[in-house]
Amino acid sequence: MDYVLLLQRIFDALFNSAIYSSLALALVIIFRATGLLNFAQGEMATFSGYIAFVFLVGPQPRLKGGGLAGLIPGVPLSVPLAVMGAVVAGMAVGAATEKVLIRPLRNAPELSLVNVSIGLLLVINSLMAQWWGTGPRVFPALFPTGAGQNFDIFGARLRYSTIGVWALLFVVLICLIFLLKRTRIGLAFRAVSINQTNSELVGIPVGRILMYGWALAAGFGALAACISANSVLLEPSMMLRVLVYAFAAATLGGLDSPKGALVGGVIVGLSQTLIPAYVPFIGFELSVLPVLIAMTVVLLVRPAGLYGTKRIERV
Amino acid sequence: MMRTSARMRQLQGVGLVLITTWLFCLPFVSTTTELRQHTQIIISVLAVLGVNIATGYGGMISLGHGVFVGVGAFATGYFVDEMSLPWLLAISMGIVTASLSGALVGIPALRIKGIHLALLTLCMAIVFQPLSKRFPAFTGGVSGKAIEARFEAPIWLGDSRMASAVYRYVFCILVVLFALGLTWNLVNSRAGRAMRALRDNDTAAAIYGINLVRTRVITFSISAGLAGLAGALQVVLVPYVSQDNYSVQESLVVYATAVIGGLGSIWGSVLGVVARTGFGALGERLSGVDGFGLVSEFFELLDEQAFVFGVGLIALTFVFPRGLAGIGTKNKQQTGS
Repeated sequence: MDYVLLLQRIFDALFNSAIYSSLALALVIIFRATGLLNFAQGEMATFSGYIAFVFLVGPQPRLKGGGLAGLIPGVPLSVPLAVMGAVVAGMAVGAATEKVLIRPLRNAPELSLVNVSIGLLLVINSLMAQWWGTGPRVFPALFPTGAGQNFDIFGARLRYSTIGVWALLFVVLICLIFLLKRTRIGLAFRAVSINQTNSELVGIPVGRILMYGWALAAGFGALAACISANSVLLEPSMMLRVLVYAFAAATLGGLDSPKGALVGGVIVGLSQTLIPAYVPFIGFELSVLPVLIAMTVVLLVRPAGLYGTKRIERV
Repeated sequence: MMRTSARMRQLQGVGLVLITTWLFCLPFVSTTTELRQHTQIIISVLAVLGVNIATGYGGMISLGHGVFVGVGAFATGYFVDEMSLPWLLAISMGIVTASLSGALVGIPALRIKGIHLALLTLCMAIVFQPLSKRFPAFTGGVSGKAIEARFEAPIWLGDSRMASAVYRYVFCILVVLFALGLTWNLVNSRAGRAMRALRDNDTAAAIYGINLVRTRVITFSISAGLAGLAGALQVVLVPYVSQDNYSVQESLVVYATAVIGGLGSIWGSVLGVVARTGFGALGERLSGVDGFGLVSEFFELLDEQAFVFGVGLIALTFVFPRGLAGIGTKNKQQTGS
């Protein structure tokens, strides 16, 4: 066995792992607080990616005249600023979604929430396709990815971009932990996640806290989109496949565990690269298959995943 | 069970007469292309009905019925072409293949419920396209493949293109009517009551002696079989299969149509497709309008099925949670899981 190659593959996989981890985190934050899986998370993230794109090169509508949008000049921002802008805009969209579409349905059956998130997925997807077209757009890399921009570790190349992405994710995570453990809003958010009725009784504005939760989740989604837009190219459906991996990561780690989302993302990223490399039958196209099977098995055998809370059902 | 008021029943009657007249007149007034498009619309009732059986009657959310449509189409194409089976046999085999794949999903659905099942079926729908590219022998890979066999009218009907188009049109209508009748009987039979009991409260259903495993798996395979039949008829109509037709959006639009029409009502599935056609025609008209700036862009959006159905799905969830068929019904009970 070629250990250098194995190490190289692991290093390459870690980049995707960061993407899956952050999108999985977005899913987990919402699921933990509301028990809803936001199927539109990927599209919301892609939309933020396009916002960053607009910040960088202008609206670039697909239509020739572009209507009024053609008149808007580009805002030439530097890449970090554009990403930050996209994260903030994405958070606003997330908060608005909660306020307008989710909050009125608080007592509605689960099916209604599924319907709304599916409707949102369709709407955002076709809006993006309408505005920017379905063709892929070039998006700059957040961190240097060129040849030679890497560390040599035992002959394998660990790229700066992989390290940069993980460093970014860790900084954001530390901020998140600080927010959750050290601030009043974080305390309220944790209370709401545990029990909504009781939180309401002690005077926590549950609706507003959930709105912050949605904003936070959308922020992680936006980050995931901006990280991945360079390697998969920006197009309206780019996050759909990523969403499958992120769902798998979240399920594997336990749908209500942020730690699980991180670990799950790493496992899914590794298996996506390593399994096709060592099992020739699977190949590149089927690389999603083992992940999907693993997700099914986890849901069947251990719905709580690695770190999730076990739910006890009355029989 | 939904109670339909007398007035609604009258409306339904009027609707039925209108649809029948429309279907009867179509072959006389349309070209072969138009007739084919209309046949495609009629076929799509089956896939929507499939979702309705699984989600509306069985309480199992399925966002991935496009997959079963695809399996039905690919299988029918394979059986009629590579195995040179006669059409009717190939179509039946297509249904069987789709049902079996449905049972395969139905088995995990025994334990995975509600939103988790929605998640699993959505992932299935997303994965189907890349997966079908990997098996080009069945699917024709990226570009799809043409089916050599043709579903032609018998010789005594003449050999004009119109004769064949009308023949396919009538054949598809008969099949769809047959399937609708069969499903209507099914959901109002003992088996159908078992399905609904399971949806509303599985513990109570089990106490009444309903076999949970069997009912769930059979429900899901019937619903997948209906979707597979839709796929098989697509091949009858257009002898060409391609993974291009089975995107996630396609699956979700089928689901949206079922929800918009009304889950838990056979009539609702028809209504959903009628609404889809109406909006489609309206969108096409409006997108031709030369407005200026944002207005024309908005009109063009109306031509996008995914957009219209996404908006419809959200709006209906707020206004009529029971779908179009649920308007005017007197019942406070909730459908779905």
